[in-house]
Amino acid sequence: MIQCKECGATQYEGALFCSECGRFLMEDGRKTTDVLPFSDYGHRPPPPPPDNFKLETTPTAKNITFVIPHSRHRHIMELSGQIRVGRSGSETDDFPELDLTDDNGAELGVSRLHATIQWSNYGLVLMDLDSTNGTLLNNFRLPAKRPYPLRSGDEIRFGDLLVHVFYD
Amino acid sequence: MSGETTYYSILGVPPGAPPDEVREAFATRVAKFPAESAENPEYQNLLRAYEVLNDPDRRAIYDSLMAEMAPSPLIINAQISRTKIPITNSPQIFYVLVEVNPPHQTAKSRRPLNLCLVLDRSTSMQGQRLDFLKSAVELVLSKLAPEDIISIVTFSDRADVVQPAVRITNKSSVVARVRNIHASGGTEIYQGLLAGVEQLQQTPLHQYNNHLILLTDGHTYGDAKECIELSARAAAQQIGISAFGLGDEWNDSFLDSLVMSSGNQSAFIEEPTQIVTYLQQRIQGLGLIHARNLRLKKELPSQVILQYGFKLLPFAQPLDTSGPEVKLGNIEGKGALSFLLELALQPQQHEGRITIPLEITADIPERTAKEQTFKSQIQIVVTANPLDALPPKDLVKAVRMLNMYRMNEKVWEEIEAGNVGMAATRLQHLTTRLLEAGEIRLAQQAHSETVRLTNGGALSAEGWKRLKYGTRAMIGETVRMDSDDSV
Repeated sequence: MIQCKECGATQYEGALFCSECGRFLMEDGRKTTDVLPFSDYGHRPPPPPPDNFKLETTPTAKNITFVIPHSRHRHIMELSGQIRVGRSGSETDDFPELDLTDDNGAELGVSRLHATIQWSNYGLVLMDLDSTNGTLLNNFRLPAKRPYPLRSGDEIRFGDLLVHVFYD
Repeated sequence: MSGETTYYSILGVPPGAPPDEVREAFATRVAKFPAESAENPEYQNLLRAYEVLNDPDRRAIYDSLMAEMAPSPLIINAQISRTKIPITNSPQIFYVLVEVNPPHQTAKSRRPLNLCLVLDRSTSMQGQRLDFLKSAVELVLSKLAPEDIISIVTFSDRADVVQPAVRITNKSSVVARVRNIHASGGTEIYQGLLAGVEQLQQTPLHQYNNHLILLTDGHTYGDAKECIELSARAAAQQIGISAFGLGDEWNDSFLDSLVMSSGNQSAFIEEPTQIVTYLQQRIQGLGLIHARNLRLKKELPSQVILQYGFKLLPFAQPLDTSGPEVKLGNIEGKGALSFLLELALQPQQHEGRITIPLEITADIPERTAKEQTFKSQIQIVVTANPLDALPPKDLVKAVRMLNMYRMNEKVWEEIEAGNVGMAATRLQHLTTRLLEAGEIRLAQQAHSETVRLTNGGALSAEGWKRLKYGTRAMIGETVRMDSDDSV
């Protein structure tokens, strides 16, 4: 059941207009979470973080692409050191490399410093920085501050914001 | 099927012609050939046509072959508000907008009309109403084709057959009889309807497009149930009933249910001057029928319930969804018949697929088969992560209009239950929505009724009808505008 935001009446899921006050209910925002086009990946838990893990610099520069279905944005950046994921805030002048402010990051629960992506001896890894709403890798919730291998084609959820990652 | 040579066209009879008519047609045609015609190919064709059509078994085979070869006479299109729906613990609803179209190349052959006008001549009709009614009837007469049949019945406390069923050859004598109608007495609709149906039955019903138009300005007392039963019996004999109410005293829900069994129109004529327009529109629609008596089979999966049905084209009208079949009426006039369904779905705990069949049966006058069934279906996928796509625009628009109509109905329910305060609140909401939709006149009507309710506690009977039939007409107009755009 859903609730009309205008008059508070309880309505059936799927109703287009409130039967009581006539409000268009689809404007009240999405009730369910976002688009999941790569559902094959969706339920596969990632392998556990390796023990003998250590951070490295990239052997050669790599291009990494982030696709955000919600805003239809595409961010392409060169991976050399660390990519921080988060939102730029007025009180900080520290801009994360992947800035999700314009992708509705605040409303979708992206923290200012949410996660990092960096190169290691195991390839690319993703690490949640103890964010408020957490990070999901292929629908698997990552424990904070532990690096997980990130493959090209994986989907990440920062809070409620879905991001697809591709790299060569 | 125009221009194509069939055994029926060789004999010059309609596809549904009874055996007698086939024999008669053959006899007249064969007599035209001279005795030594045995080698004449036309003569041989005529013989062959007769041999097949005169033998019930061979005719049935021929009919089924013809039906298979012809392009489908009706095309069903369905749009659905959501094709993918989430797994939930509570019931959900979804909407289906169905459009039934005759194919473009359909030859619009006109089946003659067997029309009966059943007119109220109770005392309250005196003056302007009756005057306009008389001129409207004259206009109807001028619109009818020579092969059409007309009968006219008036009623007050009793029924009078003003004009028994007749092929119109001498229009002026009919007009003279109409001019002689005088107003007096009460309103007993059943008597009028019964006499009207009897007049229609004077004609072989299967060869005609049979229709009764009721026009009344009063409340019928005590015989409403008989009227509705009669209307259902008439519908079974392919007699359709339309009903028009004048003024503010007639019973709207009665007229609505009266036309439901044949899926026809009931409407409110606000001003006597509009009688002509309404009657003319109705006659135009009836004159051009592509398919008659459409029925939607209510064969739903057990977890789906049909909650509400509303016809949008050719006119806006609520549908009776209580029986095993939903009567949809005719495809008339310029084309499409469309209707909106609201369906409820039981809670879905698992992913899966739900198929809802759409099976529509119709009588196609140009066809060999008496009735034909057309099938389509809609599918809904139940999934953990449904895509949040917006429903089709046309569908949203239709649902918006329909929702206003139903908000209006709830106002009346509140009043009947004695909740005047609640009714006023609902009317206020409705006013806002009507304004949003740009329906200024209806919004003003709703507003003044709100004020009336808050002050005196009574809704005016006329104001109520204006709102009810106004919102209903609004649905029809909105949808018609859209479909005109798309052509």
